[in-house]
Amino acid sequence: MIRLWFGLMATLAFTASAQDGGQLYETYCGACHAANGEGATGGQFPPLAGSEWVDGPAERAIQIVLHGLEGPVEVSGKPFNLLMPPQGAMLPDDQIAAILTYVRSSWGNSADKVTPAMVAKARAATADRSKPWTAPEILKLHPLPKPESPLRNLTSRVYHGEWKKLPDFAKLTAENVEEEHDGILSVTHADRKDHFGIVWEADFMVPKTGEYIFRFACDDGGRIILDGEVMLEVHGLGPMGGGRTQAAKLTLEKGPHPIRIEYYEFTGQEGISISWKGPDSDDWNELSDTKLKPGRKGPPSIPITPTAKRAAIYRNFIQGTTSRSIGIGFPGGVNFAYSADHMAPELAWKGDFIDGGLHWTNRGVGAQSPAGKDVVKLTSEPALPEGSRFRGYQLDAAGNPTFYNKIGELKLSDAYHASDNQISRTLSVDGNGEPVSILISESHAMGSIDGTAKVMPQPDGTTRTRLSGTMNFTVRDKLTLKVAGPSLLEKGPELYLLLAPGESATLTYTWK
Amino acid sequence: MITFPHRRSLSLLTSLLLATANAMAAVQSDYYIREEIPLPEGEVMELGSIALMPDKKVAVTSRRGDLWICEGAYAEDLSQVKWTKFASHLHEPLGMFWKDESLWLTQRPEVTRIKDTNEDGIADLFETINSGWGISGDYHEYAFGSTPDDDGNIWIVLCLTGSANAKADWRGWCVRVTPDGEMIPTCSGIRSPGGIGFNAQGDCFYTDNQGLWNGSSSLKWLKPGSFQGNPTGNSYHKLADLPAPPDPKDGSRIIVERKRFPDFIPPAVVFPHGLVGQSPTAVITDQSDGAFGPFAGQVLVGEQTHSQVQRVFLEKVNGLYQGAVFHFLEDFEAGIVPMRLDDDGTLFIGGTNRGWASRGSKPFTFERVRWKGTTPFEILTMSAKPDGFELTFTEAVDPGTANDPTAYAMSAWDYIYQSKYGSPQVDASTPEITDVKVSDDGRSVRLVVDGMVQGHVHQLDTEGLQSKAGTPLWHTKAWYTLNEIPSP
Repeated sequence: MIRLWFGLMATLAFTASAQDGGQLYETYCGACHAANGEGATGGQFPPLAGSEWVDGPAERAIQIVLHGLEGPVEVSGKPFNLLMPPQGAMLPDDQIAAILTYVRSSWGNSADKVTPAMVAKARAATADRSKPWTAPEILKLHPLPKPESPLRNLTSRVYHGEWKKLPDFAKLTAENVEEEHDGILSVTHADRKDHFGIVWEADFMVPKTGEYIFRFACDDGGRIILDGEVMLEVHGLGPMGGGRTQAAKLTLEKGPHPIRIEYYEFTGQEGISISWKGPDSDDWNELSDTKLKPGRKGPPSIPITPTAKRAAIYRNFIQGTTSRSIGIGFPGGVNFAYSADHMAPELAWKGDFIDGGLHWTNRGVGAQSPAGKDVVKLTSEPALPEGSRFRGYQLDAAGNPTFYNKIGELKLSDAYHASDNQISRTLSVDGNGEPVSILISESHAMGSIDGTAKVMPQPDGTTRTRLSGTMNFTVRDKLTLKVAGPSLLEKGPELYLLLAPGESATLTYTWK
Repeated sequence: MITFPHRRSLSLLTSLLLATANAMAAVQSDYYIREEIPLPEGEVMELGSIALMPDKKVAVTSRRGDLWICEGAYAEDLSQVKWTKFASHLHEPLGMFWKDESLWLTQRPEVTRIKDTNEDGIADLFETINSGWGISGDYHEYAFGSTPDDDGNIWIVLCLTGSANAKADWRGWCVRVTPDGEMIPTCSGIRSPGGIGFNAQGDCFYTDNQGLWNGSSSLKWLKPGSFQGNPTGNSYHKLADLPAPPDPKDGSRIIVERKRFPDFIPPAVVFPHGLVGQSPTAVITDQSDGAFGPFAGQVLVGEQTHSQVQRVFLEKVNGLYQGAVFHFLEDFEAGIVPMRLDDDGTLFIGGTNRGWASRGSKPFTFERVRWKGTTPFEILTMSAKPDGFELTFTEAVDPGTANDPTAYAMSAWDYIYQSKYGSPQVDASTPEITDVKVSDDGRSVRLVVDGMVQGHVHQLDTEGLQSKAGTPLWHTKAWYTLNEIPSP
């Protein structure tokens, strides 16, 4: 009852005057999609001008306006990963209709108008939805319109033969002739995978007079004849793309242009790609069902690297440790990530440090994996007794960190240095109190002892070891952990360092 | 690609038309100078924090976590600014100030005190003061930190997980961090903040963005112990033995629910979505005592989507803050996030539009604004009265236009208080201005209004008004949130 009343009030408030779609668009949508529909900030946000997402039946666009859209999405061939907030609870049906009618008829778009009744129907159909759409979800319900092929009256002729260069197809007899009503070139229409050729003929419908660019790649070879002249040719045998791709630029009049594509495959992989773009377009169109090169997905690469003299630091979400992670990349290609939640180094790796591209573009969604190799998970549990607090760190002139933690009244300092293939760590405890136990490994295999070790089994099943010298352990088969310290405590597979106030220990992690 | 937004051509046309009608039409550059401050070459400076330092230095942080110090940002010749990188790759900091020879920084995971102990010009000590709140690894769990209050506490508003859930401790809460590192949970009901700061009385306010349980964006008063309206993070009260925050009814009105729950403090000033802006951010107060123009003591709020600065007049009625928002500065180069106003009257703003687009079309910006010394003709204050409103002006009004009730128009509406994202304007009403009285000095106007509605936003249009000197108002609209109607 109350819901009905609210709806009525909204209706009364907004049906008094016809809605100005352009003005509403500027108010609610323009900041992101830009007044010219091309996406704000030079296209960092999805365009609506020429977008396949606003074309065709209106339901898809209405649903996105009502409930929003989140996550990865490709628009006009470009990947985005943002969140469009839902507008359905704020904008009434007639305003949404006015905005979409404006969008679908502006900047070269020409799709049918959207009525308030269409919005009302779409709203009722998904009234239970409380989350923004993801692109796969909405596309399953409302697929994008297929772009119309410019190839009309397309026929294909398949030939059999073992050619390492272009044969004279005019002198050969086709095994098979087909009309291809979808206007799409496909080598899968041949009845075999090796030793064949195809000749396609069609009218290429030029939509607008102007300059056109064509790119041609095939495996193995072939040529394109446009208006009776050879436009592009790929010779011999070889894969698609790379240095074999050919391109041409030419001016074409609007209207039909006869096109003939001759193609042959010797053995191995096969495929053909003809992509083109015309005036006013940054986007490539494809004539075949093979993409020359799939669009690059995911964020760009922004490598973070130490300098010769100073370690690099990176505080952000690092995959494999906790959310409060602090990455350190030393000159020389050894790296680790310290968890300020668990107060311990949790990951160590070699090679490149980390890439900032994930967090430094778009909204920075997700956790970034280490960029290098030989990643070792050292520990994954809190390393210090409950109630301990992370107190920060100090960097020396070379960027080497010393982490500080408070354990009751005691202060633990944990300093890191690196040399070729190893990281060394010096821990010391200041203050007054009982010795503290510090988790240093969750899975170790007993190694060798240099010096003497006094092993003392405890009544609770643990083992205490008093060391004078060093003890070597293997961590997850990848690292050697050398401990030079006063005492160790073993609890099952877990290994702890025992440090009393005034004592210190050095741990060296060396990759095998 | 250079684009010429449709909006600009429209406003150009409008100004041409106005110029024909009145040669005195006001433009921003008549009163305020906006200048871009050159940034270090080749750096991506998407600013999240600004701190004013001794010796006219200004520190900034970027969303990539770099901390730079700028010298020369106050100088006449901005081409001579010098930048020094002080620290690198901190965790998305949003709030910084200088105190006790240190920069205090609210980063996503913690409050950090940063020092250069060996005085080589580069930070070396990063002391974690407090990290008592949870972070789940979600990008949206931003933490906006204030400058210190009178007790030295930093107030921090903790955005919800994905701005819709509360998947880590204290998400959706405001906490205070004391100088010795304790964390005091202070308010519940936060959704998605854009900035935090104090008014002239030292009370803390933050901006919260339109979305779930926020029909429109607003400026909210963080009264200790209060509930701010979004119940998503309510359950964390158990972590500190605090009383359970209100469990409001979905699809109601704020005015209804807050009467059921006295701890529910309504938004002090609602910023009607689209009309005022779309994403309010920084909250600062003009403490320049006139150096920044005639608005001393008022609150300024950044606006990310529209690349603007809005001006807010606040008053307290029956123990609650309320007041009016006015358009103020615009045409910044990117979406505004941090702002700082020096007592000398220099306003610094930082901008970014990564992930959230803005009218300003640059990916990031650092700018300053200074007053030219010419007073714009503006509504200075708008206060509620038992039977209407009182307006004061920066200059005397022309009694001829000001005495005519048809020079004013008022409309009012509310928003649905609901778990859905945003709300349409609902419950529309048309309060009628029945009488107008201009004060003898012409500096104030009493509007007698029939049909004010408690809880509604009241939009005032004053397009017909002129100053005594014949100047039209620079900004002709005000939006007043009438939480309480004063008693006679």
